[in-house]
Amino acid sequence: MTTNRRQHTLEVLVENEPGVLARVAGLFSRRAFNIETLNVGPTEDSSISKMIIGVAVEGHSLEQVIAQLDKLVSVISIKDVTAKAKEVHDTQPDYQN
Amino acid sequence: MAKHVPTANGTEMTGATSLVKSLEAAGVDVMFGLPGGAILPAYDPIFDSTIRHILVRHEQGAGHAATGYAQVTGRAGVCIATSGPGATNLVTPLMDAAMDSVPLVAITGQVPSAAIGTDAFQEADIRGITMPFTKHNYLVTDPAEIPGVIAEAFHIATTGRPGPVLVDVAKDALQKMTTFNWPTSIKLAGYNPKTTPDAQAITDAAALIAQSSKPVFYVGGGVIKANASAELRQLVELLGAPVVTTLMARGAFPDSHPLHMGMPGMHGTVAAVTALQKADLLITLGARFDDRVTGKLSTFAPNAKILHADIDPAEIGKNRHADVAVVGDVRETISALIPALKAALAKSKPDLSTWLRQMNSLKATYPLGYDLPDDGSLSPQHVIERIGKISGTDTIFTSGVGQHQMWASQFISYEHPRTWLNSGGAGTMGYGVPAAMGAKVGAPNATVWAIDGDGCFQMTNQELVTCALNNIPIKVAIINNESLGMVRQWQTLFYEGRYSNTSLESKRVPNFPMLAESMGCVGLSCERPEDLDKTIEKAMSINDQPVVVDFRVHRDAMVWPMVAAGTSNDEIMIARATAPDWDSQEL
Repeated sequence: MTTNRRQHTLEVLVENEPGVLARVAGLFSRRAFNIETLNVGPTEDSSISKMIIGVAVEGHSLEQVIAQLDKLVSVISIKDVTAKAKEVHDTQPDYQN
Repeated sequence: MAKHVPTANGTEMTGATSLVKSLEAAGVDVMFGLPGGAILPAYDPIFDSTIRHILVRHEQGAGHAATGYAQVTGRAGVCIATSGPGATNLVTPLMDAAMDSVPLVAITGQVPSAAIGTDAFQEADIRGITMPFTKHNYLVTDPAEIPGVIAEAFHIATTGRPGPVLVDVAKDALQKMTTFNWPTSIKLAGYNPKTTPDAQAITDAAALIAQSSKPVFYVGGGVIKANASAELRQLVELLGAPVVTTLMARGAFPDSHPLHMGMPGMHGTVAAVTALQKADLLITLGARFDDRVTGKLSTFAPNAKILHADIDPAEIGKNRHADVAVVGDVRETISALIPALKAALAKSKPDLSTWLRQMNSLKATYPLGYDLPDDGSLSPQHVIERIGKISGTDTIFTSGVGQHQMWASQFISYEHPRTWLNSGGAGTMGYGVPAAMGAKVGAPNATVWAIDGDGCFQMTNQELVTCALNNIPIKVAIINNESLGMVRQWQTLFYEGRYSNTSLESKRVPNFPMLAESMGCVGLSCERPEDLDKTIEKAMSINDQPVVVDFRVHRDAMVWPMVAAGTSNDEIMIARATAPDWDSQEL
């Protein structure tokens, strides 16, 4: 699946609540997605934290990482901020053909 | 969401009473559970509640019963347990419900908040344990949060792709005083399931269907969850293409319909498996390309384009690339597709007659069947087929997991949705009896049969005590081949008949009819084909008590057809070392 393992950086806004790091880390672990880097910090809104996640996946696998992350109720939004800052989606991924 | 505006709003009460008032406000009429120390404060107001609480004999039974209730009614099933081992006994049903997308709300007691993290008596991090297979879960330590969390739990469990939600409540949050306030709305920034499909996706889907000459409807359990059977039938008849229904979708489309090719997958019919393999388009509705359906993924439906309609965006492209994806509620999707397809077919209507002739030829040449044992003993397939015929198509059937489950999916004719309940994704042995209990509670006027194995039955039969004491008269058919039959079949086929640890000797011990009688049920047994129908009729005539029938069947019967694990669907076998005669088929 990961023939071209270019690193993507995802900016993930999550609810600032106990256990949220375990939810995200656990998802990566059980879905066999590799986390290269993970940073967690506050935002201006104290109810929301920001995670910066580096993943070495491309294409189809990247879509799966984002779609599975988005299923977590505690995840509010996901942006792919690799190189050119490209918004992947805010609430729903767009799978429109 | 609020089912009624609770009269208790603004009243001072304990967290425990607030929990029970919240469950009432969420519209709960029944829950399955077993008390213990940490959840005990909640059981005091349960004593006075309008909610019927059914006291199970093991928390796993509560979880599967809640699942059976949910699968039959379409509403959230509710189970409740105490901390530690009570909560961990719910782990299997929660995983089961997650795999089969069942709306479930599990309530667990937790040790007092000050004791959390100290390895206190009966402390288990159930929120951490259940993160992988709950749609969401909560640990509540502040009683003021209870109504909001319960409202969210039911909202999350029952909307979008349904699934289990666990609410763990610390004992002190149940004991403290709080003001009850049922929320008027639910706002979850990170949860906003898309139910209405995009118009462009519907147009693209209709165009793709109108261009295909070998389309197949690949129907999954989502069609039943979305109550979309009537719409599905309209769409199928509009196009006139063959249909296959997965293990989770049996009953979504009538078995008696001429366009129905049967179940695909590891033990699917030759016609259903071949329809997928030879199709040029899979019209995938609420199905997820599970490995038990696809076989070796790289050789699955090699010439087919994929139209994938699902409410869960993460299923799109997970196992198989979708040429056209439609994210949304499958009933809304099908309803939108019908006029769109009519318009597309008006421009160009493909000729499906050759394709249908080929599929009908396969269906006629390779019907499901079985050989009767040479020694005159009972055939398990025959037993299951006769129960289906005698009990009729309004019956609700549950099963355990194994050979009897496959035969029950093959040899019972399903005409209606929500009449076939089984553990499809998880493969939970022991699902059958407690799921039947929950199904009977949800549909008290229906006949409910659990088709169980002798192995499965020995995992969860204690719930028959619950059934006997609570006027839940289910019927249980133990297909007793004195073996872990499916494992034994694999040992026959793949381990040179070395039957390591699959002989249960259940024709000697236990005595199933006596065990049933001891639990307040009627116990029957049947060993000879000539007694089969009258034994089933006897069981059918008893409606004031649970009935257990020990059908002592031949041990060596096997489930066919079979696509061996990890092999291609093209290698389907109709009997041991026997492939279909492809040369005689025009494909």
